[in-house]
Formats: sequence, C-alpha cells, structure tokens
Amino acid sequence: MPRSAIASERAVIRAETRRRWSLALPALTVITLCSILPLVVMVGYSFMEKGQYGNVEWGFSLEGWRAVILEKDFFDDSYIPATAHLTILGRSVALALLTTALTFVFGIPTAWFIATRSPSTRAFWMFLITVPFWTNLLVRTIAIQEVIRADGTLNRLLLATGIIDEPLQMMFTNGAVLVGMTYVYLPLMVLPVYAAIEKFDFRLAEAAYDLHASRFYCLRKVVLPLMWPGIAAGSILVFIPALGAYVTPRLMGGGRAMMWGNLIDLQFGQGRNWPLGAALSIALTLVVLGAMVWYIRRVAKGGESIG
Amino acid sequence: MLDIRSLSKKFGAGNSAFHALKSIDITIEEGEFFTLLGPSGCGKTTLLRMIAGFEQPSGGQLVLDGKDIAMIPPNNRPVNTVFQSYALFPHMTVAQNVAFGLEARGATPSEVAGRVDEMLEIVQMSHLRDRKSSQMSGGQQQRVALARALAPRPRILLLDEPLSALDLKLRKQMQVELKRLQREMGLTFIFVTHDQDEALTMSDRIAVMEGGTLQQVSDPRALYDHPANRFVAEFIGDANFLAGVIADAKLGMAGQPPVPLPRNEAANGPVTVMIRPEQVVVGPLAKDAITLNGRIETLVFSGNDTQASVRLQNGETLRLRAQNNLHAETTLTEGQRLQVSLPLDALRLLPQEAADAA
Ligand SMILES: Nc1ncnc2c1ncn2[C@@H]1O[C@H](COP(=O)(O)OP(=O)(O)OP(=O)(O)O)[C@@H](O)[C@H]1O
Ligand SMILES: [Mg+2]
Repeated sequence: MPRSAIASERAVIRAETRRRWSLALPALTVITLCSILPLVVMVGYSFMEKGQYGNVEWGFSLEGWRAVILEKDFFDDSYIPATAHLTILGRSVALALLTTALTFVFGIPTAWFIATRSPSTRAFWMFLITVPFWTNLLVRTIAIQEVIRADGTLNRLLLATGIIDEPLQMMFTNGAVLVGMTYVYLPLMVLPVYAAIEKFDFRLAEAAYDLHASRFYCLRKVVLPLMWPGIAAGSILVFIPALGAYVTPRLMGGGRAMMWGNLIDLQFGQGRNWPLGAALSIALTLVVLGAMVWYIRRVAKGGESIG
Repeated sequence: MLDIRSLSKKFGAGNSAFHALKSIDITIEEGEFFTLLGPSGCGKTTLLRMIAGFEQPSGGQLVLDGKDIAMIPPNNRPVNTVFQSYALFPHMTVAQNVAFGLEARGATPSEVAGRVDEMLEIVQMSHLRDRKSSQMSGGQQQRVALARALAPRPRILLLDEPLSALDLKLRKQMQVELKRLQREMGLTFIFVTHDQDEALTMSDRIAVMEGGTLQQVSDPRALYDHPANRFVAEFIGDANFLAGVIADAKLGMAGQPPVPLPRNEAANGPVTVMIRPEQVVVGPLAKDAITLNGRIETLVFSGNDTQASVRLQNGETLRLRAQNNLHAETTLTEGQRLQVSLPLDALRLLPQEAADAA
C-alpha cells in the first residue's frame, strides 16, 4: 500500500476514535462528577488530619483508619480493637440481610400476582407499587410510625376489636425497624422480579408438567432458575442501600441501636471527626464491593449448576 | 389403545360459550401413526391438549388402556408432547433437557445416563450433548425436543405441528426420519398438521376435522379415493364437482342421457359428482364412461403434466391433468374443442350439501 494511503487510513481511524470518545463524553462527565470525584474526595479525607471543629486539615495521617480498627483504652491510652465498630457493622449487615429476606418473602408473591394479571390491570398495580417513590423517605417513615405507635391506627384497631387490652409497644423495637425497612425497600425487590416473571415463558412450565414434573419440581428446576437474574438484581438493589440506611433505623428504632450509617453520620456531625467518618464510609463501600463480587460469582456459578 | 368417546369441549360459559370440539369419537391403535388434519382453528390443538391433560373435557371420555384418564393430571399421564415451539429449557444443556422427564420421575442417575445416551444416539445429537439448548438451529432443537419427549417412554407421543417451523427441505428430511423412527421403535404417534401432503405421506390413518367435528377417519389412500364429503374431497387433493341427478340407478349429468351405474350407491335425487382431475381422460372411451364435449379455456404447463380447464357445453368447468408423454396421441392447445371422458369407476357421488344447491 502506498504511504499516503496508509496515512489517510490512519486519519480515518483517528477520526473514528475521536467520534466515539465525543459520544461517550456526557456519560463520562456525569460518572466522573457524581461518582468518581466524591469517592476520591472521601478517600483523600480519610487520610488527612482532623480539624478542630470538623472539616479536615492538610497533612497525611492514618489516624482516621486507625480509629476504624483500634480505639484508645480509656485508662492506659493503649490501643485495643474497636469491637464496638464490629458490633455496629454486624448489626447493619444483619439488618440488611433480614430486610433483603423479608422483601424477598413479600416481594415474590406480590410480583407474581401483578405479572399474572391481565396486561391492562398490570399497569395499575405497577402504578401502586411505584407511588411510594414519589414521596419523601422521611414522610414515608413517619407514616409507618403513625400506624404502629402506641396510640396509632393499629393499636386502636386492636383495642377496639378487643383483641388486646392495652396498647402494644411496637415503636422503637427491632421489629419496628424491620417493618420500616421492609416497607421502604419492597418496591426495589418487586420491580426486577416482576420484570423476570413477566418475561417468563409459561409454555416452559407446561412442558415441565408434561414431562412428569410436580408443581414443586417445576418451580425448583425451571421457574426459579430462569428468574434468578431478577431475584439477584432485586437482592442487590435492596441489600446495598439497606446496609447504609440510617434514617429509617433512627426513626423507627429511636436511635437506640446504632447502625453503620448512624455511625458515619455521627462523625461528620457531633463527633467532628471527618477523617474517621470518611474512613468508615470507604470501609462500608469495600464491604459492599466484597459482598457483591462474592454474590455475583455465586449467582453466575449457581445459574449454571442449577441448570 | 386410546378410546376417545364422544369427547367435547366448550370454552367459556353461557351464551358466549364456544364449542371447540363437538362429540369426537376416535379409536387409536397401538403402534399407529395417527394424524389430526384440518384447517386452522378446527380444534386439533384443543384435542391434543385434552389428551395431554392440559384441558379438561366438557363431556365424553378419554380411555387409555381401558382406564378413564380424564381426571389424571398431565404429569401423571403416560403421554408426552413435542410442542410446536419446542419449549426447550433454555438454561439447560441438550443432555439435561433430555434427562428432565426421567429425573422428574425419580429415575436413578445410572438409568437416566443410559437412557439419555440412547436417545441422543437415536436423534443423532450426541455430539451436541453439552450445548445450551438456546444455541441451536431449528432442526437441532426439533431433534432434542423429540428425544426429550421420548425419553420417559410414553405410551403415546403427541406432536403438535412439530415441523411447521422448519424450511421445506429440512421439513421433508425430518418427515422421513420421524416416520422411520416411529416405525422402527413401534411407537404410537398422534400428529397434528394442517399440511395435507405431510399427512398423506406420513400417516397410517388420518382424521380430517373441520369446525370442531370429525369429517372422516381413514387411511390416506381411502381418504383420497373415497372422500366422505365435499369438504374432505376439497381439502385433500384437487377435485372437480359437477351437478348430477340419480334416477332409477342411473346417473344423468351435463345434459347427457342417463347412464346406468355399476353399483347403485345413492338414493334418487340430485347429487354432487366428484372426479379428480387426473382421472379425466382426453378423448372418447369405449364403455363405462360418460363422454362430454367442451372447449379448453386455459392451459398450464407444469413440467411432468399439463393442467387444462375445460368449459363444458352446459357451462360447467372441468379441470384435467394430462401427463406430458412424448408419445401421447393428442396435444392440447388453448381454445381447442375436444371430448373428455369421465370413467364411471372414477366418479364419486357425494351427498348434496346446502352450499352446493345455491
Ligand atoms: N383457551 C381458549 N379459550 C377460548 N377459545 C379457545 C381456547 N383455546 C382455543 N380456543 C378456540 O378453539 C378453536 C380451536 O382452537 P385450536 O387451537 O384447537 O385450533 P387448531 O386446529 O389447533 O388451529 P391451528 O391450526 O391454527 O393451530 C379456535 O377457534 C380457538 O379460538
Ligand atoms: Mg394448533
């Protein structure tokens, strides 16, 4: 090929590459501004010195990360493991897992119910599911409080019907936190699972039934494996925000049992320890990342071995 | 083996109820290739789904090996289905698909493995046993669906238009293979199709259906040679219908003097006379035939034969097929006047239907 031809071909390739990048530019900008930049700032803060009245001061320090893992002994100033943090993390993980499990238990039948309605009524049910999204999280949480507090709707109903003699103490219990969390995160489970069920070809269930499968066998071997991607997506969508949740646990639990989210909140607020707060945030991100990698690998493998 | 006794099916209730099947009676024999043939919407799938157990009969009985199976759910019936859409499980491999029916019934792993190997061998899919079922051509999926349905050793295999998604060449090839498999393994097939050629070439017996009723059940030859009514004659093959009158065992038609019939089949009165185009003879015949005068209106050459449309003197049209034989005595040309003969033994007298009178 003559040299000029090679040169012009290169120019075409360069122009093509430029064109692709310019197409991706808006997306890249948004990702950089909204996702990468804040993350970089947080990582940076976690390695700085804490300011007297909050904020951070320039200067490298591992103090923030140290405080995530170790705390100063009250008496002799020696360092001991920060077991309190572990407890809080454990509590947050447990709450997130329970929330995921409960949204799963309530979400699957709900999604199934909607997906098996006639197409026209489906839109109506989906609308109902998404209505809470239009409302502020605080308002929703307080609405649930209204239902279960001592002189709330539920207690009055139970008293009026004579099922109980005195109001049940439901507010500020672990149960209340779970109810609140399940209520708030349910739609995130229902939507992807609904999409999976709607896509499911019911002729496959018929084929399984024709091939001597019982209903349960068909559910286990055909229906669930094909809905697995939807269930996985729903679980991730619920688990991750539930892990960092702090508004709902605070309002429903009365702030008695601290969650990881509350802990972070505390460091940026009253604690005035921004490096620690930043380190705690990054630590949570790492936990989520680890859990995600593990889960996705398992799902990928599970999908194959189940099949 | 399978007795279908005055089976009927209604969809819906009250005034809006739709009678998809009206009192169907069929007996299917062991080892038979039985075909349900009919136009779209005549109820073939509905009947098949009732045998499989997916639809409940509204009336009548389904007796398999002397036992009424109408109340047995599909998973406990000794019948399996090859679905038109194949309905292979997309998350499973070919071998896992074939194993499904055996595992669901709790066969031991060694039993399953042996049977799966055997079935894949039979449909020549052993080399693709670990392929995901979604990554295969239509013909390959077809084979897997067949192996999967046969693996649990059904008493009857139901096939709902299994070949309709294949292109013509593959379809012909699969027809031959399916027929060979059925014969060699001594299986009982109930096969649904709306393709008459497919039905004629493959079946031992054919049930022609229309509007939820059974029109005729016979072997392919008899169905073609002795159609029970105008619908069957028209649906299977090509047919001429001419008006005739029977009086005293004589048939009069097209303004010709009545000729005595070899066998007196019909009662006096008007009849519809059916004759296949290839049975019409060009030129006069010495005896036992009705000879008519006419003019060739159109000629269509189609390789091995020529189809002519002849306008008879009384205005009726008669189509004929003449073999393109080099040594044929006459050549046909458009506009030509000629005599055509209808051999008496090729004539079929059909009951006159309301539509014919008009
Ligand atoms: N679930 C149902 N509810 C109401 N009507 C139905 C139902 N299933 C089938 N039908 C009607 O019953 C009739 C027979 O349907 P069927 O599917 O058996 O036809 P088919 O002979 O298999 O036709 P095709 O060759 O198009 O598959 C059709 O008119 C159809 O509309
Ligand atoms: Mg059909």
